[in-house]
Amino acid sequence: MSAAFTPISYRVVAEPTVRVHVSELACCAIEVGSAVALGLLQPEAPQDAPARIDVLLVSGTVTELLAPAVQAQWAAIGEPRLAIAVGACASSGGPYWDSIVVLNGISDLIETSGYIAGCPPDPRRIIDGVLALVPTP
Amino acid sequence: MSVRESIGLHEQSCTSCLICVRDCPSQCIEIERHTEQLTEGRRPKTVHVLDAFRIDYALCMYCGICVDVCPTDALIWSPVAGLALPSRAALVSDREDLARRAQ
Repeated sequence: MSAAFTPISYRVVAEPTVRVHVSELACCAIEVGSAVALGLLQPEAPQDAPARIDVLLVSGTVTELLAPAVQAQWAAIGEPRLAIAVGACASSGGPYWDSIVVLNGISDLIETSGYIAGCPPDPRRIIDGVLALVPTP
Repeated sequence: MSVRESIGLHEQSCTSCLICVRDCPSQCIEIERHTEQLTEGRRPKTVHVLDAFRIDYALCMYCGICVDVCPTDALIWSPVAGLALPSRAALVSDREDLARRAQ
């Protein structure tokens, strides 16, 4: 990861106090991108109100090589925070569960508070899932 | 374009033949069954009886092969969503949950 890389944070349009960070690892990240295109997520702007909770969406296959990057991204997020596994790979290893280099889900790596099923889940279901899993204010 | 929300099971149509279990690429389907002897009719025969049916939605890749291969159309695409859950174990849908998705 180069020093110039700054990950973008998003806000959930329906609940703007929820800030979303994305671990873009595989195809599920494209669906998270679609949520931006559909207007369900929008990039964080300086005028946004303070976030009440940070959510890390781990979207994609977590390999041994990429696991430290996910861990570093999680460590950089302040409390209160929530890690959500998006799709089969991040939940359990998915179709690659039997591969030696693939982690059987991110719960082996970080404390996971939610799992969104799908391979990949629909962008609307991802945002519905985030709103269902985040505690209400 | 329809969204593949989840898979449902018509329990009464399932003959527990295990074709879906064998064909599932991510091996997310589990069936428990036993055999029973039927003595009525022209001659006695042995049938399979379904005991448990589980789909692990944390593994399912929504390919629909199980729906396609099911010889009795017991497995169907369900419009019921709502598979964002707080634990890994909760993503394993049991027979009752799958039957509810088929209603």
